[in-house]
Amino acid sequence: MRNPFAFQCGEFRVRYKDDLALYKVPRVRRRVLFVLGLFFLYPLLATPYYISLATMAAMAAIGAIGLNILTGYTGLISIGVGAFLGVGGYTSAIVTTHLGLPFWIAVPLAGLVTAFVGALFGVPSLRLKGLYLAMATLAAQVIILFVIVRWEGLTGGTAGMSLQRPDIFGYRLASERSYYYLVLVCLIGTALFTMNLFRTRVGRALVAIRDRDLAAEVMGINLFKYKIYAFAISSFFIGIAGALMGHYSRIIGPEHYDIEVSISYLAMILIGGLGSVIGAIFGAVFITLLPVVLRESLNLLTPILPHLAEHFSALRELVFGLMIILFLIYEPEGIVKMWRNLKDYLKLWPFSYSKK
Amino acid sequence: MNGIKRAQLLGWIVGLTVLLLTACSSPAGGSDVIRLGGLFDVTGATGDVGKPYADGAKAYVEYINDEGGVNGKKVDLIDIDYAYSVPQAQEGYRKLTQQDQVVGILGWGTGDTEALRALVAEDHIPYISASYSENLADIEENPYNFLSAATYSDQAKVAIHWFLEQWDENRAPRLALIYNDTPFGRSPVADTRVYAEERGVELVDEQVVDLTSLDASSQLLNLQEKDPDFVIINQTWGATSTILKDARRLGIDATFMGLNWTTGEGLIPLTEEAGEGFIGVVTHAFPNEGETVEGLSEIESYLDTKDKTLADIDQKFVQGWTSAKIMLEGVRLAGDTVTGETVREGLEQLNEFNTGGLGAPVTFSAESHRGANQIRLAQIQDREFVMLTDYIGYE
Repeated sequence: MRNPFAFQCGEFRVRYKDDLALYKVPRVRRRVLFVLGLFFLYPLLATPYYISLATMAAMAAIGAIGLNILTGYTGLISIGVGAFLGVGGYTSAIVTTHLGLPFWIAVPLAGLVTAFVGALFGVPSLRLKGLYLAMATLAAQVIILFVIVRWEGLTGGTAGMSLQRPDIFGYRLASERSYYYLVLVCLIGTALFTMNLFRTRVGRALVAIRDRDLAAEVMGINLFKYKIYAFAISSFFIGIAGALMGHYSRIIGPEHYDIEVSISYLAMILIGGLGSVIGAIFGAVFITLLPVVLRESLNLLTPILPHLAEHFSALRELVFGLMIILFLIYEPEGIVKMWRNLKDYLKLWPFSYSKK
Repeated sequence: MNGIKRAQLLGWIVGLTVLLLTACSSPAGGSDVIRLGGLFDVTGATGDVGKPYADGAKAYVEYINDEGGVNGKKVDLIDIDYAYSVPQAQEGYRKLTQQDQVVGILGWGTGDTEALRALVAEDHIPYISASYSENLADIEENPYNFLSAATYSDQAKVAIHWFLEQWDENRAPRLALIYNDTPFGRSPVADTRVYAEERGVELVDEQVVDLTSLDASSQLLNLQEKDPDFVIINQTWGATSTILKDARRLGIDATFMGLNWTTGEGLIPLTEEAGEGFIGVVTHAFPNEGETVEGLSEIESYLDTKDKTLADIDQKFVQGWTSAKIMLEGVRLAGDTVTGETVREGLEQLNEFNTGGLGAPVTFSAESHRGANQIRLAQIQDREFVMLTDYIGYE
């Protein structure tokens, strides 16, 4: 037995299972659980509006993690996220209203259908890379939205469709708080799956493709198969996010899924950090809260500088663009890298001898 | 090792959020203030007409506060510029209802109003939007949406009805429609098809022109082949001017008519001489109508306090002013306990509510939230809109 009065130093792993753990140090594990606990406590402390902000950020985070699997980890760019969210949302809406199936079947089904559609649009990725693939996925965006608008019998055309909040054991998840918990559980599931994915054979193959696809192929990785996997897995989570968003906002329409949505998701993973689960979450929170923070700071300024505020509101788009450019110039690896730098700095503080 | 610090950061985020919450969780103001919400588009795609509309609504609230408020209570209009983006409108709506706890909302676009209607019904928030989509008039589905002017469908019907009255040839007139691929653009299309058939009008063509389109030649060439006698446009100023200019260039001699968002002062400088003869649907008064519209004197006295005159505002300002006026009339009738529920009941008492000629008289009831179904028609003559009719319907 360990001496309770001695400070533990070093990591002692005595079982293979310890080697396989996601967080290997018990102290870290406890801390992660503590933080997760805080997230579960959050809605008990916050007002409904702040819960709804958190819910929106969490739903965006699921989609951003999905996109990060494709773009950040596998190196395949996609500008079709908006449309894939739409596939998820509409699948869930159609399945619940036309077929009368419950939410709990509709949402996974939405993920699967989106995975299929995503894989379909991933087929050109064997031959196309970079800008060309971006164009192919842009085509997905256009085609899918076109179908949604024109297939009025199924999708309701431009009028959109309405969805219901889910029931569980007769209890309706109508409140902000209950839906927050649902989305939080989904987000934790997504994050755990993705973190583990990149410790498996498939995940490592995807990373190999990103780093050098030719070398990966030489090593025996079937490029086509794994690229399709990447598209399917990524689209699965985007579809889930789309379905959750649909049931949250209660009404969906083609306007929710235009190209701007795709761009904002790319901005999320870019600003948060490519190829990082936690980065995708940071990015999603950042992009979701940016317009809110801008608006609120504007409201604070209005009594002092009424005219400045009037002009500043026109600059919102500019701020969004500026953020992306500044990140690309000063911190291309995103918020996650900023955090890592801070951590490295604090690790030795105040006796930091490691001058860069 | 990354995990440690990641966890710490998450802890920080949570801690900061909790701090933020405690700092600003309770809405400001006491019970003697009536909080209204505004979801406007000032900087977005429809900002050209959205900004004057928002200014008008805000101006009316300021005016009524200077007059002593509603039932002795001040009105606080908390407005949000959602930049014509549906997700931002949804977020703004949550702020207004959950954070600010407003008793009613003045909204803007078709897409966002339709996206919010289920929540509006659930939260009991009376909602007067600048969208006159027929979908919103279904009271069973949207018990808290109020339409303060004729729906787009009704506007198109009146346009057809009026055209038939002028029609003296011995054959069925040929109609073509031009609209955009948005909920707003498509809103009146299905009803117009049905009504045209009922009235024996031959619908020969439909063309889709984007809201921000700068060229409509190919669509208009197709339309020219079908040789319509009149064309109904549902767009905003920008696309309407594109259509009118291209039609003039191609020598199409049909009568061009447009629904209410095509009409307004802003169209004339965009179209120049190509606009001559265009007939627009007018739901609200033009500021230059002067003494013939008594409601304008109210606006004039407000503008006086700002060292402005009626020449400084446009028709969309009048429209925003009128929407706010109708909403606050509902608040006034709600009496002492102002909640979403009582404001709805108040609005439902409005019977032939006279806006002083700023818009058609508005009637709401528990059975119908279709405020009006009458419009006026005006034609561009010598670069100015000249009224062709008084308020008319299609029956």
